[in-house]
Amino acid sequence: MGRYVVRRLLQMIPVFIGATLLIFLMVNVMGDPIAGLCGERQCDPATAAQLKKEFGLDKPVWQQYLTYMGNVFTGDFGTAFNGQKVTELMSTAFPVTIRLTIVAILFEIVIGITLGVVTGLRRGRPVDTSVLLFTLVVISVPTFVTGLLLQLLLGVEWGWIKPSVSTDATFGELIVPGLVLASVSLAYVTRLTRTSIAENRRSDYVRTAIAKGLPRQRVIVRHLLRNSLISVVTFIGTDIGALMGGAIVTERIFNIHGVGYQLYQGILRQNTQTVVGFVTVLVLVFLVANLLVDLLYAVLDPRIRYA
Amino acid sequence: MPEQYDSEGAVSSAGMGGAMDLAVTEAQTLERTPGGPEGTGPAGKPRSLWSDAWRDLRRNPVFIVSALVILFLVVISLWPSLIASGNPLKCDLAKAQEGSQPGHPFGYDGQGCDVYTRTVYGTRISISVGVLATLGVALLGSALGGLAGYFGGGWDSLMSRITDIFFAIPVVLGGLVLLSVVTSNTIWPVIGFIVLLGWTQVYRIARGSVITAKQNDYVHAARALGASDSRILLRHITPNAVAPVIVVSTIALGTYIALEATLSYLGVGLKPPTVSWGIDISAASPYIRNAPHMLLWPAGALAVTVLAFIMLGDAVRDALDPKLR
Amino acid sequence: MLLEVRDLHVEFRTRDGVAKAVNGVDYGVDAGETLAVLGESGSGKSVTAQAIMGILDIPPGRITGGEVLFQGRDLLKLKEEERRKVRGAEMAMIFQDALSSLNPVLPVGDQLGEMFVVHRGMSRKDARAKAVELMERVRIPAAKERVKDYPHQFSGGMRQRIMIAMALALEPALIIADEPTTALDVTVQAQVMDLLAELQREYNMGLILITHDLGVVADVADRIAVMYAGRIVESAPVHDIYKVPAHPYTKGLLESIPRLDQKGEELYAIKGLPPNLMHIPPGCAFHPRCPMAQDVCRTDEPPLYEVNGEEPARRSACHFWRECMNG
Repeated sequence: MGRYVVRRLLQMIPVFIGATLLIFLMVNVMGDPIAGLCGERQCDPATAAQLKKEFGLDKPVWQQYLTYMGNVFTGDFGTAFNGQKVTELMSTAFPVTIRLTIVAILFEIVIGITLGVVTGLRRGRPVDTSVLLFTLVVISVPTFVTGLLLQLLLGVEWGWIKPSVSTDATFGELIVPGLVLASVSLAYVTRLTRTSIAENRRSDYVRTAIAKGLPRQRVIVRHLLRNSLISVVTFIGTDIGALMGGAIVTERIFNIHGVGYQLYQGILRQNTQTVVGFVTVLVLVFLVANLLVDLLYAVLDPRIRYA
Repeated sequence: MPEQYDSEGAVSSAGMGGAMDLAVTEAQTLERTPGGPEGTGPAGKPRSLWSDAWRDLRRNPVFIVSALVILFLVVISLWPSLIASGNPLKCDLAKAQEGSQPGHPFGYDGQGCDVYTRTVYGTRISISVGVLATLGVALLGSALGGLAGYFGGGWDSLMSRITDIFFAIPVVLGGLVLLSVVTSNTIWPVIGFIVLLGWTQVYRIARGSVITAKQNDYVHAARALGASDSRILLRHITPNAVAPVIVVSTIALGTYIALEATLSYLGVGLKPPTVSWGIDISAASPYIRNAPHMLLWPAGALAVTVLAFIMLGDAVRDALDPKLR
Repeated sequence: MLLEVRDLHVEFRTRDGVAKAVNGVDYGVDAGETLAVLGESGSGKSVTAQAIMGILDIPPGRITGGEVLFQGRDLLKLKEEERRKVRGAEMAMIFQDALSSLNPVLPVGDQLGEMFVVHRGMSRKDARAKAVELMERVRIPAAKERVKDYPHQFSGGMRQRIMIAMALALEPALIIADEPTTALDVTVQAQVMDLLAELQREYNMGLILITHDLGVVADVADRIAVMYAGRIVESAPVHDIYKVPAHPYTKGLLESIPRLDQKGEELYAIKGLPPNLMHIPPGCAFHPRCPMAQDVCRTDEPPLYEVNGEEPARRSACHFWRECMNG
């Protein structure tokens, strides 16, 4: 196990470098990093040159990348062009997005798994067909449409929630945004659980459990569910990274000042260091979550051996 | 990852046949040549797999409905004037935000353009982006995936690492970064971006099915008889890998349409005066309180289109994969 | 009789039609007796067993008629909760593939102990001790250490011993073993079969042994019931059947066993395929494959004839059982 972790950690390095380099290149090569600095007007050449020198932008890109990553590993994510430290932005933005992600994951677990188990056990019945159709609709309607519609209905028409989230972004305010963020994954979790339950229900060991004279409840929970949830748990685990990175749309709709909001602002204003900094952290979260999921997999399924 | 997820989120594991009732399995095997489930490579002739699938699809109402919807969408994206006589760019500010009225069933948007006409014309953009991006993704992904799966070795490891890198970048985020600096008014940057970040999905599916197909006995036999690599790839392996790629691509087509709309909503996808549902939804969202019709019609059209493609892909997958029944 | 199955009918409703898997099966087994149920796949032997145990998948399966009398009561008339209490405690089943039949993510000790927890209300600790005892009973070395191991950590033979231990746990009156040795190496098969036979004698249990392997049957069975297309075609004491089969299908099965004294001769095989259960041929279901078939076989379904009035009862579902026994 220990050796496996080490190997996986080593494998993460090229992926980490690749992904951050890719983003770094995109931001630097495609955009003009000082474009937004002189207000609405273009900077005059002399100021531009000076600014470039100040931020080390006159050096070759690979050198900039190395310098940047070197700084990152000493905890210095650089300065946003408005003078605020990027780490400062992170310390306000990440807690908000983490809360949002937690709400989303809870929705996936509670609603997604419940629906999946119910439909998986009643395959082909009306409940199953309607839930299945509903998941297809949820998957098909883009998140931003779901978000806008829920905002319209719950926030504007019925007044159940405030249409936009305050800067505190408490758990209570994040319930509806969390549901929106979770919606597509929730549908996938439902379908995955359903498939898995339906498949395992016909497995030999479930037949054995029934032949042993176990009560239905015990057959389902201890034998069927325990096996079926392995793949679901791993899906939810890998989804953590995707949810945090995918929160841009949700945060924009509900005006949540989290990671997605900061990234969106950073991209619009071409704040290289903000964008690259946040993305670096997101990529790390994604990679670590994946590693943890793989290890969790080994705990849940004793047949998996990592050597 | 010990297991991979296909686009539907179902685990594409090969194991766990599950004990179906003996009599039923036996009765089925008597009637039909067992076409292997998708991903494990059909054991019988590919023809029986396809004709079986077609027989199932013809009886599946989900397939029929979604295919008809798609046919309709394709027709009006080719000839929008068939059902919309107006000009989507001809607007009258005086009528901005007005609701439904005779001749203009969907009302007017914030610029006073006819929402009905714009919704109809938006089909063309969404379908074009979806189809072209899917073609690009399918071709690039299956070519790279097929080669990696077939030849294996260092090339395969390198490619797998590269796909890992692309998987680590959140799609919408990548789109924002890449497309925020593009000023072009055409649909090509969006298509290019989708292909750039989307090919890895098809790559994994194609690679996987080629690897399983490669292990079939008849492939070993063909090689023993001295068939060349290109012949084996084209004659024996490609037919087996095509089905899963088609399924994934059909479902992906729907999600690409949604992605284009999302990017346009965020302001980095297509730009006016291009007529796109995403742009119209984005433009309508500030007025959601007073004039929800401006948002609901293009959003509804978008949802129906994406749903049709996803349902079609779903039905095709079920037909091609007897295991999941 | 410990168990008596009377005129059992089971069918499966699928999208392609109704498969008639069991069409009027009668058989019985006494305490301490071994009944071997013989037949090709699709003959309905496993489905009958599942119907007796009450573990058919319903739907698509459906019991459309008959009785299963166990210690005098008709199991098919019991409520599901009463039925459940019979399963595992009074009758138990051993499956073919122990690897897939044991839960892959639970230690074998938990799976064995579960029997005592559920049916006897034991504590988990006591149940664990019982599990070790059982594993020793089926001669698994180092049982105490291995009780925490998972199924995949055992060899095929050891896994099947665990299946046997699980079936024996509550000392049931009847055990149904569905091809218990088919998935095992030939060398291990005999050991597992011997163990099963030994334990059966010791506990004086009834045993229904489902198999397609005539070699296994000869050593352990008292009686044989041969099934074809969901019916019993011949039932007789084991030695009688080996001496003179009274049904052409049994005869075909016996002739298709490779024998050492017939080296060099071509191996006999019954021509044709087992019938499609959705379209069972009219008359005698075996007639399309039968070398002795006459016109009457194509139209009239043969009843189970009493053969020679022999005692214990011997029966054959062939219009021409006399000719068969003479030719």
